[in-house]
Amino acid sequence: MSIEQWIDFAKGPLFALTSMIMVLGLLRHIVIQVYELVAGKGRRLSAAPWRKILNEGLGWAIPIKQIMKGTPFFSSVSYLFHIGVIVVPVFLADHIVLWEKTLGFSLPSLPSGWADFLTIFTVACVLVLLGFRLFGDRQRAMSRLTDYVLLLLILLPFVTGFLASHSGMNPFPWETMMLVHLLSAELLFLVIPFTKLAHIVLFVFDRLSAVHWQLRPGAGDKVADALFGKEARV
Amino acid sequence: MTDRTRPIKDIFWILALCGLVAGIFRMWFGLGATTNLTDAMPWGLWKVLNMVAGVALSTSGFTVGFLVYVLRLERFRPLMKPAILIAFLGYGCSMTALLFDIGLPHRFWHPILMWNEHSFLFEVFWCVLLYFTITFIEMLPNIFERLRAERLVRLLHAGTFGVVIVGISLSSLHHSSLGSLFLVTPLRLHALWYSSWLPWFFVLSAMGGGIMMIVLVRILYARWYDPEPVFGTQLEPGVPGPADLLSLPGVSRGYTSRDMPMLAGLASIGAGIMSCYAVLKVVDLVRLGSWNALLAGTWESWLYSAELILTAILPIILVAIPRTRRSPVGLGAAALSGAFGLALNRLDVGIFGYFRDAHTVYFPSLAEWALGIGVIAAAGLVFFFIVENTAVFDNNWRQRYLSRGVFHATFDRWSHVWFAVLMSGVHRVTLLAVFVLPLAWVFLYPAYHNEKPITVVQASVGMDNMRANLRIDGDRQGVLAEFAHAEHQQRLGGDSSCAACHHVSLPGDRSTPCSRCHSDMIFATKIFDHSFHTVAVAEKEHLAGLYPANHSCALCHGDGLPKTASTVKTCYECHRDDMWLVGRPDSAVSLMNAPSFRDAMHGTCITCHTREKERVGRPQLDECATCHRSLTARRLATASHAQDDNALGAVAFGERPVGASDSGSSH
Repeated sequence: MSIEQWIDFAKGPLFALTSMIMVLGLLRHIVIQVYELVAGKGRRLSAAPWRKILNEGLGWAIPIKQIMKGTPFFSSVSYLFHIGVIVVPVFLADHIVLWEKTLGFSLPSLPSGWADFLTIFTVACVLVLLGFRLFGDRQRAMSRLTDYVLLLLILLPFVTGFLASHSGMNPFPWETMMLVHLLSAELLFLVIPFTKLAHIVLFVFDRLSAVHWQLRPGAGDKVADALFGKEARV
Repeated sequence: MTDRTRPIKDIFWILALCGLVAGIFRMWFGLGATTNLTDAMPWGLWKVLNMVAGVALSTSGFTVGFLVYVLRLERFRPLMKPAILIAFLGYGCSMTALLFDIGLPHRFWHPILMWNEHSFLFEVFWCVLLYFTITFIEMLPNIFERLRAERLVRLLHAGTFGVVIVGISLSSLHHSSLGSLFLVTPLRLHALWYSSWLPWFFVLSAMGGGIMMIVLVRILYARWYDPEPVFGTQLEPGVPGPADLLSLPGVSRGYTSRDMPMLAGLASIGAGIMSCYAVLKVVDLVRLGSWNALLAGTWESWLYSAELILTAILPIILVAIPRTRRSPVGLGAAALSGAFGLALNRLDVGIFGYFRDAHTVYFPSLAEWALGIGVIAAAGLVFFFIVENTAVFDNNWRQRYLSRGVFHATFDRWSHVWFAVLMSGVHRVTLLAVFVLPLAWVFLYPAYHNEKPITVVQASVGMDNMRANLRIDGDRQGVLAEFAHAEHQQRLGGDSSCAACHHVSLPGDRSTPCSRCHSDMIFATKIFDHSFHTVAVAEKEHLAGLYPANHSCALCHGDGLPKTASTVKTCYECHRDDMWLVGRPDSAVSLMNAPSFRDAMHGTCITCHTREKERVGRPQLDECATCHRSLTARRLATASHAQDDNALGAVAFGERPVGASDSGSSH
């Protein structure tokens, strides 16, 4: 197959496959979370402190208070990184053409100058976060292999996409860069629902965890039994 | 105890989900895009496997009902509920598959109101519909028992006998009618299978096969859920059995478990019916003189023999030998062979027997396999659900319900923490669905897979040296259009008229044939070579840089714009000097994809002819026959035989168009 056929394959069947796995995988998380919230016996949703949950949840949308308390630099870089990581892939003009073609709706597009700035900014944020993980003692102790791999995996589509659209800086043929961009983004789609990146949807339910912990008396023993009971004794 | 059904359920879920996607695509894109059915082989997998074979394998409801309620053989009563469950699922299966198989699924209810009493299918439809309803009514007591609606259960039990009798009558009616359906194919069905006795064969084999099916399911149920009544107490080899084993009924006759004597008895009845069937089949061969076909050594004769051995001979032998009859595995093998042979027989009568006459081989498409098997798998899942939650085979569902596992605990070495993973059925099935649905989608989506029949188009042929008259026949199939080029040129205004039809030539060329770009008869073709242009433009413009070709994007797409087909400049903006643009300048805008040859030719001619027909006062100007004279002549010739071509031409057109003298030899 020629490289153009590979690009067609990555844009067609492979894109459909990976994006559907991502969407269904994330939907599955939502379904299961809602199911567990609603179906569990003895769980009283009405008794949950909804107002408090809502206040706290929305408070994190502009988390100035929370950031200033702890590690201001790290937290603000992480916060800004999230803005770039959401805005650029969704509102980039080249991607909006894809939305129009595959999904049938259009969105306002990001001016190209802004897109360039945000892309570079996001890449810089990833590098700073990576630096924190590598050189901060506490972060390093907590980090596992997947934490590094996922950061680099997020980096890859941003870098290749930037080079593909700014072909003057690109030392490789445009087709190659485009193919790597497509494949890396699709790999990211695949891992999102099955790694901690699933917090794309699960963050909502973290806020709702106050509901989760309304356990019945004696529930702790049952949990311990389920965890350690038979396996631990054998 | 480990859950033996878990892997089977997982596989069934995978198959059912694939079937779901195939069903969606069948409804979305239609039968033509998703199946391999043709006019020569219009009955495919869904009809024959799911409907004809599926219904045949679900006779258990009617045969066991006959044994228990009419012949009063009370020892088979424990199999009554399972038999009805199988009938319910089998008929549900075939009706679901048929819904997808009929051309206009939203009209499935038409036979209920619009009666065609001359049709066997009409009778089959009504019987299947009524019998499905009957099995559903017979299933209801189980469900009400589970819901603890005692009064309803008693009410239903009171009417059981009547319902069963109606069910038996309906069954015997439509099993023979299914055989009668194939009586209309004496010239098509292979001589080995075609017989006026087909209705009898269908009833007999369905009765025998249905019995084999219930025996098989009972043994499988025992293997999955509760081995002891069938497999006996499992003993280590060489260890003498416990004393209480001897007190079991049937032990004296060599049986070592509670239910085996009953199952062996039922299988013997099935084998008896099957031996009648086999004898009749042989008599029929002699009667019709089809022995030759059986001994001819064709693949049909081998298939016929294999089918007869599997349906009748092997089960009869296995049931006749005491050792295999008494062993659950041996009896299970006999039942499996009988059921499989029965299904094979229906496939032979419904599909394989027609290959020789149709001169073609039908192999179901991926979507057909997916939906056909998916429906069966879904029925299997319903079977597991009903069996586990109601008292069909035994009363153990409550116990099972309580002992279901919920948590999987795993120890994480990195963090030294126990992770508890909640893994109920919902979690497991949704996890499967996340992978299976997209994979099935990609593998079944017609546009990704339908192999395009590439029909390379060839240039039109001049019928004289001056190319004044052209014979346009892109795929050389003989469906040609004769085109009076010189006459059209003259009529449309001489040398300035080219642009009325032609639009553009390739760079550096003045007379590119239409077929050069419109190179496929049916499908649009990609004609723009992107990689070539990136390199060629960079060379021409003497671009420098890390990779020169990458600097050429902005020259065509514009700087700062999305690099897509919609932002690109037209070919003519660069190729102004070497590209001969015949038509309007905007006819060079979209030269990325060339429409198919057929669309290009039809579009050019018919558009103009439709416009002009009023003006010139010839209402037939835009009809097929105006250009495709040979096609019309051939059709008319086959319709009314032996008629003079030229006379036909005159009849069709009312006048003799240019070049008509040559068309006589074209068919």
